[in-house]
Amino acid sequence: MAVAALLFGASGAAADTSSSSSSSSAVEGKTFVIGTDTTFAPFEFRDSSGELTGIDMDILRAIAKDQGFKVEIRSLGFNAALQALTSDQVDGVIAGMSITDERKQVYDFSEPYFESGVQMAVAKNNDDIKGYEDLKGKTVTAKTGAEGETFAKSIAKKYDFTVKSLDQSASMYELVKSGNAVAVFDDYPVLAYGIAQNNGLKTVTDKVPGGSYGFAVNKGKNADLLAAFNDGLAKIKANGDYDKIVDGYLADPTAAQPTTFWELLGNSLPALLKGLKNTLLVTGISFVVAMVIGLAAGFMKIARNIVVRGISTTFVNIFRGTPLLLWAFMFYFGIPQLTGLPINIWVAAVLTLSLNSGAYVAEIVRGGIQSVDPGQMEASRSLGLGYGKSMQKVVVPQAFKIMTPSLINQLIIMLKDSSLLLAIGFAELLYQGQQIYAANFRVTETLLIVGVIYFVAVMLLTKLANFADRRFNK
Amino acid sequence: MSTSTTDTARKPMIEVEGLRKSFGSNEVLQGIDAQVAEGEVVCVIGPSGSGKSTFLRCLNKLEDISGGTVVVDGFDLTDPKVDINEVRRHIGMVFQHFNLFPHMTVVENVMLAPVESKKASKSEARQKAIELLTRVGLAEKADARPAALSGGQKQRVAIARALAMNPQIMLFDEATSALDPEMVGEVLQVIRDLAQTGMTLVLVTHEMGFAREVGDRVIFMADGVVCEQGTPEELFGNPQQERTKEFLSKVL
Repeated sequence: MAVAALLFGASGAAADTSSSSSSSSAVEGKTFVIGTDTTFAPFEFRDSSGELTGIDMDILRAIAKDQGFKVEIRSLGFNAALQALTSDQVDGVIAGMSITDERKQVYDFSEPYFESGVQMAVAKNNDDIKGYEDLKGKTVTAKTGAEGETFAKSIAKKYDFTVKSLDQSASMYELVKSGNAVAVFDDYPVLAYGIAQNNGLKTVTDKVPGGSYGFAVNKGKNADLLAAFNDGLAKIKANGDYDKIVDGYLADPTAAQPTTFWELLGNSLPALLKGLKNTLLVTGISFVVAMVIGLAAGFMKIARNIVVRGISTTFVNIFRGTPLLLWAFMFYFGIPQLTGLPINIWVAAVLTLSLNSGAYVAEIVRGGIQSVDPGQMEASRSLGLGYGKSMQKVVVPQAFKIMTPSLINQLIIMLKDSSLLLAIGFAELLYQGQQIYAANFRVTETLLIVGVIYFVAVMLLTKLANFADRRFNK
Repeated sequence: MSTSTTDTARKPMIEVEGLRKSFGSNEVLQGIDAQVAEGEVVCVIGPSGSGKSTFLRCLNKLEDISGGTVVVDGFDLTDPKVDINEVRRHIGMVFQHFNLFPHMTVVENVMLAPVESKKASKSEARQKAIELLTRVGLAEKADARPAALSGGQKQRVAIARALAMNPQIMLFDEATSALDPEMVGEVLQVIRDLAQTGMTLVLVTHEMGFAREVGDRVIFMADGVVCEQGTPEELFGNPQQERTKEFLSKVL
C-alpha cells in the first residue's frame, strides 16, 4: 500500500503544480455536502467530544483546505449515504467505499486514496476457529454491501457457512461476541483499529488483499469537485500529509485506555445531550404539525360529505397501514429522486413523524368528538348557535378533555419513534449513542445510558403533560 | 294561560300541516296537523313511541322534516333559505336530560347564546343571566359548575338558559321525566310561572295532573298521528276515541 501511495503520490505531484490553479478555482470558496458512514472507525467516527474524525475525514479536510473549498459532513450511514448521493441530497460520498465495477456504473470515482483488504476476526476467547475450514455449518457476519460481504459470500459455499449481513461494524462485533455469529469479515484497518480499542476480538487469518477506496460523486455530476479531490490528494501525498494521517490511525492507533463507566458517561454526555436536544425538538415540532393535521383529518372524518370523509379515511388508512421507517426513506431518498429537488433532513423528519402521528391523532379526535353526548350539540343548536360555533364552544372543549390522555400517549410514542430517524442519519439521541459505541465498542453501557436518558425524558414529559392536563382540564 | 274563548282571534304562532318524519323505513310521524296560538299552552301526551318527542323536535328543526310544512312565528322551516339559527333564537327548548354544558359555570351556560349571537355584551349578558337565575331561584349558584347541582336545579338552569334569548316560544321535552319525584315540583312551578306570563308553551309531558292544570289545550298522540285534542276538561273528562280512553285508563 505504501508503495502504491508513493508511486501515485509521485505521479500526482508531477501534475499538480500546473493544474492546481485551474481546478481549484472552480471549487474555491464553495461548500460541498459530503455524505459518510455513521461510524467506520478508523475512517470515520466521533471522538470523545462528538466531533467526526478518522482517516477519511482528515484526508477530506486536508484536501478541502488545499483546494480552498468547504465541506459540510453528513454522517448518514453507509447505505443511506449512497442513496443520498443517488438522489443528489449530497454532492459526494467518502465512506471507506471500495471502487467496484457495479458502483462505477452509477457513480464517478476519484483516484483510489486507500488500498484496503479483508480480514476475518473471531471472539478473543474463541479457540475453535483457526481458519476458514472451522466455519463449516456456522454463521458469520459481514457488512452489507462492503467488500467483506463480497469476500465472505465468495467462499461461503466452499467452506459451507452462512453469511448474515449487518449495517454497522459495532453491531457485527457484538454479534460475534454474543455468539450469534462465530466470525466477522471486515476491512482490515477497521478490524485492526477495533481490536486496538479492546473490542473483544482477535484475528486468526491473514488479510486478503482487496480493492481500493475512492471518493464518489453522482454519475456525471460535480466533475469540478472530483477533479479538485484528485488534485488535492496528489498534493497531500506529495507533501507527506497523507502518510501522517494514515499512520496516525493505523501504525500507532491510539492506545486504548480502558475507561471507567463514569468516564464513559462524562465523555459521551455532551454528544448524547446534543442528540436529546434534536430528539425533543423534532418531536415538539412534529407534534404541533401532527395536531394540525390530525384535527383537520379528524373533523373531516365526521363530515357529512362523503368525499371529504373519504379523503380523510384514505389518509388515515395509508399512514396507519404503512411503517414509519418506510416514510422516512421515502421522504428523504425516494421523493427527491422523483422530483429532483433535495429535501432538508429536518423537513423529511418532521413530515415522517407528523404524517404518521397525524393519522393516529385524527382517530383520537374523531373518537373524542363522537364520545361527547349528542345532547350537547342539540342543546347548543337549539340555542341558535351554528354548527361551527357549537363545535368550537361546546363539543370540542369537552372532546379535548376526553382526548388528552390519548394525545399525551401519542406524544410519548412519537418521542420514542423519533429514534427510527437514525436510519436516515438524523442526529437524534439513539443515533448519537450509536456513533459513540461504534467508536469505543462499549455497546451495552452506551445503550444503557441512552436508555436512561430516554426514560427520564419520557417521565418528565409525562409529568409535564399530566400537570398541564390537570391545570387546563379542570 | 288565558281564556279559551279567544283562540281563533289570536295570531297563530305555530302551524303544522301534514308533517311527516321517517327514520329510514320507519315513519314516526304520519301526517300531523296542529296549530298553536300566541300565548297558548299546549300539552302533548301519549304512549311512548307515539312520536310526541319527534313532533316537538320538528318544531325547531332538530329533526329534519321529511314532508309537510311547519311554520313557526312566520318562518317556514322547510324553506332552505330560512336561517334556522335565527329562527331557533325565537324558540327556547328544554330537554329531558337537561344537556347543560358541563365545562361552563351555570352563569356561562345562560350567557352563551346572547354573547355568541352578538345580541349582548358580556356584562349585559351576565346581568341578564343573573336576573333569569334569580327568577328560577338559583342566583346563588351562578358560579357553580352544573355537576354540583341537583337534577331539579339543573333543569331550572336549563330553563333560564333557554329564556336568555327572549324567545316567543318554549318547547319542553319531558322536562321532569328524568327527575327524582321530590324535585318535580320545583321545576313544574317554574313552568307554571312561565305559563302565567303569557308565553307560548308546548310541553311533551307525562304529568297528567299538570297538563290538566296549566294546559289550554291537550293533544293526544298515538302511532304518529294526532288522535284527539281538546281542552283538558274535554280530553280528560270526556274522551271520544277508544285509544284515548285506553291510554288514560292506564295513566290516571
